[in-house]
Amino acid sequence: MKILFYGRLADAIAPALEMQAPAGCSVAELRQRLASEYPDAGETLASRRSRACVGDSIVGEDYRVVAGDELEFLPPVSGG
Amino acid sequence: MSVVARLEEHRLDPQAELGELLAQAGGSGALVSFVGIGRPRSSSGESVDELVLQHHPVLTARSLEEIAVDVAQRFDVSHVRVVHRCGRIPAGEPIVFAGAASAHRRAAFQAADFLMDRLKTEAVFWKRESGKDGSTWIEPTEADYADRDRWG
Repeated sequence: MKILFYGRLADAIAPALEMQAPAGCSVAELRQRLASEYPDAGETLASRRSRACVGDSIVGEDYRVVAGDELEFLPPVSGG
Repeated sequence: MSVVARLEEHRLDPQAELGELLAQAGGSGALVSFVGIGRPRSSSGESVDELVLQHHPVLTARSLEEIAVDVAQRFDVSHVRVVHRCGRIPAGEPIVFAGAASAHRRAAFQAADFLMDRLKTEAVFWKRESGKDGSTWIEPTEADYADRDRWG
């Protein structure tokens, strides 16, 4: 599956990557797997203010990915 | 009632935005506006040449719209206007214009204040300060989240 990253996560991991994720894998499991593969991103991935998004909608930690999903990880946002 | 929420990729002219809001709000008795400007120094004192505001192709504009509509519904205001830059913004240039008009001043002051507290913590941007000393991602502080949460 394709995963997109923004902000400091894009710096620590990549703007986009392809990852083999088993069907039914949850967002929480993907966060842990990414954090173990990219330790520099671990703190941001673990932050409760970092959100996951599928199809331009925010999804919860228990969301389970399905074939064709494109997942986005959004680190804490800040405007103004 | 009018609500304007716009993402600007190139240039933000606060005087033009204020002029348009004033023209729309002719029947209101009060108008409060705020302009956020890129600082030439970081909070730790390093020189900042530019601010880089990364945005999401869909969620950023949507967040501006949702925040502006929420503010318009929460306060007794007649007009709300939010214009936010994205991309590379040299220090000293405007980043955001936030304005509200109402029949009496209190609602306009509160709406503008609340707009900025929400934008600081919920507008979908990723902000990086860049200067000769390097580049640093900026996130809201606990004080910023507390400022937003005080509204309940």
